[in-house]
Amino acid sequence: MASAPRLEIRDLWFDYEADTPVLRGVSLTIEPGEFVAVIGQNGSGKTTLVKHFNGLLRPHRGQVLLDNEDILHHSVGALARRVGYVFQNPDHQIFGATTHEEIAFGPVNFDLPEDEVEARTVDALESFRLTEYADVQPAMLGFGLRRKVSIAAVYAMQTPILILDEPTTGLDWKSTSELMQLIGELNRQGRTIILITHDMRVVAEYVPRCMVIRKGEVLIHDSTREVFRQAELLESTHIQVPQISQLGRRMVTLGLQDGILTVPEFCDAYNDLMSGT
Amino acid sequence: MPVVVDLYLHRQSWFHRADPRVKLLFVAASLVLLLVFKNIFIMLAALILLHLLHLSAHMPGEKFLFIWRTLLPVGIVMTVLWTLFYPTGNPILEFWVIKITPYAMVEGAVLGLRIMAMAFVVFAWLYSTDQPSLVRSLVKLKVPYEWGLVLALALRYIPTFQGMYEIISDAQQARGLDYSDATGYKRVRAMMPIFIAMIISSLRASDQLAKSLESRAFGAHGIRRTYIHDIHYRAADYFYTIILLLVVAVAIYMRIAYNFGIHPIRLL
Amino acid sequence: MLRGVDFAVEEGEFVSIMGPTGVGKTTLCLGLNGIVPQSTGGMIKGDVTVNGLNTKRTLVPELARYVGLVFQEPETQLFNMTVEAEVAFGLESLGFPPKEMGERVEWALSVVGMDGYQKRSPFSLSGGQKQRIAIASILAMMPKILVLDEPTASLDPLGKTEVFSVVRELRRQRGMTIIMVSFESERIAEFSDRVVVLREGQVEMQGTPDRVFAQVELMDEIGLAVPQVSELAYTMNRRYHTTYVFTQLEEAYQKLTNNSGRPWRRDSG
Repeated sequence: MASAPRLEIRDLWFDYEADTPVLRGVSLTIEPGEFVAVIGQNGSGKTTLVKHFNGLLRPHRGQVLLDNEDILHHSVGALARRVGYVFQNPDHQIFGATTHEEIAFGPVNFDLPEDEVEARTVDALESFRLTEYADVQPAMLGFGLRRKVSIAAVYAMQTPILILDEPTTGLDWKSTSELMQLIGELNRQGRTIILITHDMRVVAEYVPRCMVIRKGEVLIHDSTREVFRQAELLESTHIQVPQISQLGRRMVTLGLQDGILTVPEFCDAYNDLMSGT
Repeated sequence: MPVVVDLYLHRQSWFHRADPRVKLLFVAASLVLLLVFKNIFIMLAALILLHLLHLSAHMPGEKFLFIWRTLLPVGIVMTVLWTLFYPTGNPILEFWVIKITPYAMVEGAVLGLRIMAMAFVVFAWLYSTDQPSLVRSLVKLKVPYEWGLVLALALRYIPTFQGMYEIISDAQQARGLDYSDATGYKRVRAMMPIFIAMIISSLRASDQLAKSLESRAFGAHGIRRTYIHDIHYRAADYFYTIILLLVVAVAIYMRIAYNFGIHPIRLL
Repeated sequence: MLRGVDFAVEEGEFVSIMGPTGVGKTTLCLGLNGIVPQSTGGMIKGDVTVNGLNTKRTLVPELARYVGLVFQEPETQLFNMTVEAEVAFGLESLGFPPKEMGERVEWALSVVGMDGYQKRSPFSLSGGQKQRIAIASILAMMPKILVLDEPTASLDPLGKTEVFSVVRELRRQRGMTIIMVSFESERIAEFSDRVVVLREGQVEMQGTPDRVFAQVELMDEIGLAVPQVSELAYTMNRRYHTTYVFTQLEEAYQKLTNNSGRPWRRDSG
């Protein structure tokens, strides 16, 4: 897979209706291979912003650039080769008679040769452990499986940039972990991953970088640990860090290391504190 | 943000306050009268009266313009077509097979004005009646409650389905679906992934909705449904009803007994 | 799907139900107000008895007087033009007089913190507000048992907070038996008298949050998350041979700092 392109947003303005700008002069850069979570309340503009990355929305002012090239005149279908987008509700994508057909849809749209389409479909089925459901109608599967199918279908498109909109909502923790590990693996292969999510525990444990959106502006775009340290900033947008981070924060005044993200980290930090290191 | 398919505009006016059944009667009566008469002066009078009605019901100017803009072309086309295809009487202009007669022109104008008047009647009703009252009036006139609910649900979910279409269309395009080059039948075929996903999603949504209705005791046997806001006939509503019925009765009598309003130009 | 689920809920109890995706939690909820099996088909072996009524023999609209069910998705639960009509819908179906309906609507809206919203259109509301209206529309019927099926799954953090504060208020008032299906173990620890854990169609374990969330390994095997502080207690006990038990943040903080605001020695509990 070729190296992922650099995604740059320059002074982006967008509104749905005349006087209420949803995005106000947003500028940011997502480096090739970055794995970043986009967090913010509903209505903050985070989905609006992310929909500009693959051309679903076009800026009223400002530019969206992939490797320094403005994507304005590329169609959504053309951009789909470089930027994959998994929508929040798998039922908004699923239509196939079989899971196999569903997953092959993307590669087929790219006019790839038959054996390439087949290879990618089989790879996706195996990577997401869906092989046993290949001939089943995906709409009839349970929710967790439908979720996996929708992600596998975009994975088969093998796009260097992958956007996932709340992929873990409604899943139990085990399924969430499995999915996030898979996504992490995709990132290790060099893909840029942009993850919209409300689940702060997922962010703490699996996503190295974080972007907070509030009222159409990017408040911060930094490493997850650094973002989690910014207590007032997060509070101002009603975002709560995971319980263990909250506990850690409360003990900072007692000397505990700041920016705890996970339970093992807390244990180590607490141990250090107790043994006076 | 989804906008509801609802023409209702909230205003304080006698017409707004009238019972929705009165307004239904008004629509029925007006349509009957407009169809029964074919005289140009009657049509013009009707239009003027309807404008006065809209004014007294505080309809905003932009709604007027909207109706005129939409229907004037229709009215004009009707007038022209009628004139061309049903010439009667002495022509004032002739070329080839085409004869333009004043009689036909007036007849055509009657048709055009009639369409416009009908539109104003229906809009007056829809602008001044909110959806729950409208459904309630139908139910009180013995339409089964379930039908009224189905109507209300259908109207309420139109914007939801619109929104669903847009999202699904985006989602499939983001998977490389490109139907911009296809036309006609090919285009419909190319859009199948969108339609199928919509159907499946809609089925799920309606299943959910049914469960929600049941969880709120919908369909309870042996219980007469009550309404938190019911509609009641007031003295004024009886008054309007009587007037409407009288007008229709008199008009029809005049039409039958004296041939009033049959001729496009002469009243009697 | 469900294979021998067996448990009882006392009046006034708050019971939370957890289980992996697809185990049948929603089916169980629908079984509580009769929609399963009456509307969905399928068969129930054994009985579900709610408030003395058998859910196979009592019709769904009748059961709806006693069991209120709130679903996950506000969008397909709200279908009226005004908040007032929405909250009153169940009462209309049950034939209540208009005056009493007005009073109950007012009461229900105040419980969910949305006083004065009667004339508003549900379309203009946020996700959290919509879900609160959905709850209000069930509360207005004053059921003895309130069942919440993943009530915050589709909501953003602000919406979740809003809905959980309604749940907190309801629990405080202690007027209703509440059964809540959720993955939010930290909230479950806060509200529940008892937690029931389902696995492969059966009850795997049940007990107080303290007991259930201490079983960190088992929960992990089933695929469920315990509150992070419970996981912390477990990890610390294993590493440092402490005997901590906590399921809530405040409790954890107090015990780790032993009420004096200073961290205590690691080998005391």
